[in-house]
Amino acid sequence: MREISSATREAAEDIFFGQLVLILARWSLILAAAAHVLWGASDQATLLVAMLPLVVLMALNFYVHGRYLTERPVNPAFLMTASVLDLAFVTAMIVLGPGPRGFGSPLFILYYPLLLAAAFVYPRWFTGACLLAGMAGYIGACLATAAPFLEDGRQLEVLVQRLTVGAAMAGLGTYYWRIQRRRRAAVAGMNGRSQVHAQKRAS
Amino acid sequence: MSAESTRTPEDLTYGQSVIVAARWILVLAGLGFAAWNPGPVWELRLEIALLLGLAAANFHVHARLLAQGPLPPRVAYAASVVDIAVVTLVVLAQRGPASEIYVFYFPAILALSVAFPGDVTATFTAVTAILYALVSPPASAGDVEALMSRLLALGAVALCGYTYRRIEQDRRVTAREPALGAGGDSRAVR
Repeated sequence: MREISSATREAAEDIFFGQLVLILARWSLILAAAAHVLWGASDQATLLVAMLPLVVLMALNFYVHGRYLTERPVNPAFLMTASVLDLAFVTAMIVLGPGPRGFGSPLFILYYPLLLAAAFVYPRWFTGACLLAGMAGYIGACLATAAPFLEDGRQLEVLVQRLTVGAAMAGLGTYYWRIQRRRRAAVAGMNGRSQVHAQKRAS
Repeated sequence: MSAESTRTPEDLTYGQSVIVAARWILVLAGLGFAAWNPGPVWELRLEIALLLGLAAANFHVHARLLAQGPLPPRVAYAASVVDIAVVTLVVLAQRGPASEIYVFYFPAILALSVAFPGDVTATFTAVTAILYALVSPPASAGDVEALMSRLLALGAVALCGYTYRRIEQDRRVTAREPALGAGGDSRAVR
């Protein structure tokens, strides 16, 4: 029972301390998406419509970042929802543009920092869910716009390559997260042992 | 000596296993994708030679990591230079902008961002970005936009890796010094 509560506490601490990575990943996403929209929009209406969700995402990240800086961070459920929204935002930009859509869109790489940040911060089940959601979203986005890659072996290869690197980002992030968790546990163990020795010497 | 430099050797020790894992992914995925719809024979020959060379080097690094501990920093940096160079050479062999192999820069940059000090990570990321822009010069406005997105995402990956490493350093310091850590703000990432 104590073990379960300790694991739960550790997961909550991972999110508490690691949320800065999520915030920075979202700022990077906003920067890249803003550059893409400003560069790629061909008319005023497209530019204005494309900027709207971006402004919403910025407001969301201002809120999360502000709460973090004032030492009143948002709760894990809110952060997880925001991460899902990030992935949905990238998928929507791939489907809707501006610029090339679907398989031809260069924006699929924006999944990578998001998946990496999720792997560093969230429990494994949620990282896995984000990875699956991102992959499904990207395949869906390619299928929704056009599906030439199903007939073209070269494009299918590229699609699998992109998905493989996405999985590698999440996998390597989780691997490093596990290494860090072991290091912290080792430090805490050493700390506990030295406290016991100190108490023995004092008595 | 700064706190950063005193913490780095231990981080390099643990971070090298991530670099080794990322390199194995590069080798295995690279061989798989080279065999899937192979290009001209000279290109395939070059890709296989580079990847087999990388596999042999990584076997040596991995075995040493398991048996004797990590490589010295300079050798570890040199090995990462080779990783970036291999990806760049393959991009170049596949006619630059047409190549999709650039995605393999991402795991490589991620791995070194959690292992190397911040200034080394920043240098590697900047050099990689410049190299990629040189071997993959944009031919149209759309290419410029795609290049910009790629470079921004590359920077974001390096920033996330570096920030997470610093957060974990602070958490370990707090765990080592509970009395000091109780009053400190361990979320501060400098």
